[in-house]
Amino acid sequence: MRLSDFSKDIEKNVDLSVSKLNDAQKKLNAIVTMIEPDEQIKEVKEKDPALPLYGIPVAIKDNITTKNIRTTASSRILDNYVPVYDATVIKKLKEAGAVMVAKTSMDELGMGGTNLNAYTGKVNNPYDVKRISGGSSGGSAALVAQGVVPVALGTDTGDSIRKPAAYCGVVGFKPTYGRISRYGVIPYASSLDHVGYFTTNIVDAARMLSILAGRDDHDMTSSYEPVDDYEKKLNSDIKGKKIAVLENVMSSIQDERIIQNFNELVEKLEKRGAIVERIQLDDALLQTLLPVYLIIANAEACANHSNLDGVRFGMREEGKDLEEIMINSRTKGFSSAVRKRFVLGSYSLFVENQDKLFRKAQKVRRVIVNEFKKVLDEYDCVMASAASTIAPHPEESVGEKMSDTYLVAENFMVLGNMSGYPSLTLPSGFVEGCPIGINVTAKAFDEQTLLNICKAVEEETGLENVTVEVQR
Amino acid sequence: MNYETIIGIEIHCELNTNTKMFSAAPVRFKEAPNSCTNEIDLGMPGTLPCLNIHAVELALRACMGTHCEIDPLVKFDRKNYYYSDLPKGFQITQQFHPIGKNGYLNIQTKDGMKKIRLNRIHMEEDTAKQFHTSSGSLVDFNRAGTPLIEIVSEPDMRSGEEAAAYVEELKNMLYYLGVSDCKMEEGSMRCDVNISLRPVGSDKFGTKTEIKNLNSISNVQKAVDYETQRQKELLENGGVVEQETRRFDEATKTTVLMRKKEGNVDYKFFPEPNIFPILLDESWIESIRNSQPELPSQRKEKYMNDYGLSEYDASTLVQTKELSDFYDEVVSHTKEYKLAANWCMVEMMAVLNKENIAFKDNPCSPHHLAEMIEMMKANEISSKQAKTVFEEIMKGKDPKKVVEEKGMKQISDPNEILKLVTQVLNENPQAILDFKNGKGRAVGALVGAIMKLSHGQANPKLANQILNEELKKR
Repeated sequence: MRLSDFSKDIEKNVDLSVSKLNDAQKKLNAIVTMIEPDEQIKEVKEKDPALPLYGIPVAIKDNITTKNIRTTASSRILDNYVPVYDATVIKKLKEAGAVMVAKTSMDELGMGGTNLNAYTGKVNNPYDVKRISGGSSGGSAALVAQGVVPVALGTDTGDSIRKPAAYCGVVGFKPTYGRISRYGVIPYASSLDHVGYFTTNIVDAARMLSILAGRDDHDMTSSYEPVDDYEKKLNSDIKGKKIAVLENVMSSIQDERIIQNFNELVEKLEKRGAIVERIQLDDALLQTLLPVYLIIANAEACANHSNLDGVRFGMREEGKDLEEIMINSRTKGFSSAVRKRFVLGSYSLFVENQDKLFRKAQKVRRVIVNEFKKVLDEYDCVMASAASTIAPHPEESVGEKMSDTYLVAENFMVLGNMSGYPSLTLPSGFVEGCPIGINVTAKAFDEQTLLNICKAVEEETGLENVTVEVQR
Repeated sequence: MNYETIIGIEIHCELNTNTKMFSAAPVRFKEAPNSCTNEIDLGMPGTLPCLNIHAVELALRACMGTHCEIDPLVKFDRKNYYYSDLPKGFQITQQFHPIGKNGYLNIQTKDGMKKIRLNRIHMEEDTAKQFHTSSGSLVDFNRAGTPLIEIVSEPDMRSGEEAAAYVEELKNMLYYLGVSDCKMEEGSMRCDVNISLRPVGSDKFGTKTEIKNLNSISNVQKAVDYETQRQKELLENGGVVEQETRRFDEATKTTVLMRKKEGNVDYKFFPEPNIFPILLDESWIESIRNSQPELPSQRKEKYMNDYGLSEYDASTLVQTKELSDFYDEVVSHTKEYKLAANWCMVEMMAVLNKENIAFKDNPCSPHHLAEMIEMMKANEISSKQAKTVFEEIMKGKDPKKVVEEKGMKQISDPNEILKLVTQVLNENPQAILDFKNGKGRAVGALVGAIMKLSHGQANPKLANQILNEELKKR
């Protein structure tokens, strides 16, 4: 579904999505809460039909705060939480005329890359329900891939938009850190969290950026950088553009079909006049990505989620005193996977550990980003396959093997979170009937170049507006 | 053995801002519980802090008033602990980079001026207020997120008297600077005192105890005096001081054990990721420095050097900012500095105290008081008349109108007075004879007669002078 496929007939648009929701839910288990759209339809009808998302149905990842609509972040502890305010991105969607139809499943509090760790259970891959959707924004990716909504919001702390986008065969975009306000987004790790979204094509991705980006006084980390009309300026002429292929990633991928798909694409881009060069970062540095990421993310997370104690909101488990209420609520409210991350995070912040774990991880992050920046000082973007395999089955995805493939090929996209640089995954082909994707990362706030290069890629792959319904 | 008392003080001071440290919710006292809150103060998921620039300004003013080095790169950190008065589960504070450090404050002691060094001033947010009742604990989040500065002294004080003088000096200064309303009894300024003893001559510190939440300056002194004595007796009897937190019990005037410190709590401080370091503009800092309100010490100096007031008068005036502000206003309309000081400090304060009128409700306008003083100076009214006029201006009346209504304008025209004198002398030949016979009292009687004849309006000094001249002529 493209945004441009929708008419100005709100009811018809929304009905189309809603009619697909129930079947999609049976197939995918991607939804935490269905949203009754009648009230919103009434409100949108009062608005200007020229609005960029006028009457367009959208889905929202369940860690994005929606006023009067249950927001659980797929965690038991927030199962009964109904926010009193809207996240800034929700306000912007409403102002643009969108109608929210569903809150989507995710790995609990964003912690995970499989969407297996959601309170409502696994999200199925639209192309093969036995396979995973990827996570943590799995529900949003699956609904767009299924053709239920043209746009769904997600968040990305490690690769939580860009990995499920690869597995589900859609466009997943996380703009520069500070480009889109995080106010009202239930965090995982504040210094790594990004808001982004899924679409079926690059034109829509460009339009969505103009709608969602911009300075927000509620988020001190949001940028004053002016917002452009990215859709209007979209230009797929990439002659002379310098593209760096991250060879560390490509050389650690085992699946020849994925490598071949990537190489063929590179050739096509070269034919378009792009200058493609294979570059190599220090492997040792890339192997630190995952541990450094886990230390920083979980340290921030254990503080960020200290507000979830069952006292003021959320699920409360009784106890004989305040401390017991908090302990019981948190013990029962979080899955063991989440509690594990809290323990790791807390451990790395202890005064006796902080220098050798948390502070060291921050320093290594700085070193990694400096190296990555050097590459982008020379090239317009960095490119690699977004995943080393098609979407795995649940049992294949659980073990965190410390292999090169795992450490480098499966985790390199965290470079985009550590640096904050804009990063986008888009479909590049199919293997065994399942989608595969490539990832492109550009300079800070250079979303236009990123989108332009991705538009060229999209033209070469022909995989524009691909959903399960409209397969090529 | 003789012991030396070592005292360091930590003061938490709520800043005088309209809104909270990191949210737009209002800062107000005595409002309905939980009415001055928003999603940020309640620690709702997804909320982010947004720094209150006015709070930074006030913190800078406090730093400037106490001669602190200012760090123009403002950074915040998280202090992590779980408690029901801390909605986010962490407090945003400045652990690693306080906005001010290495300052000092001069205090008056019985041995003269003493310099007390400040270790640091940092910004942070207040917690919610808890009420423990028999049926359970209640939490009011109105206070949660209120901007605070914490001012940490070096262990430079040696007695309860010095501790009290330090708190008083700081309180007065912060109030003058408009940084805080400094109401210790209402908790907007809270004082924790650390005390230890060591043998005189030793350069090592003894084990300290901390007395929490002292709510008045006199209690600071009482608590330190008691605690000094307690520790001294403990040490003299061969005991040891244990590191513990105590509170001051007003009823018994003693300090009472709250909890023993069992190792340090690890607050897992780390930099706040949601607030990037903020580099304050040098010119902004300078504009704040250039608009610093006058400090009490500066005013005192001005009163003594420029206005010629005594040290006692100057101190008394600056002790209460409202009184000093009023006086400054009065002397902007009259140059009779000493007279003005007397009327403000003595007469006006007597009325305000007697009638139990708060300064903000003072019906007397400084301009009116200045006018009255000018009338006295110009001999338009006598000092006796002034007392009557003053009573009226303390009810909010215009002194000119009072004088007019009561017809009490003083006659200071020598020709007018000569007429009065002549008439009185003509009517009292016996008194003239008495005068000639050396009866000095006769003069008094004649003056009285003049005053009576003039309905009290004759300038007594002038009347006396002219009377004496005329008597000699007869």
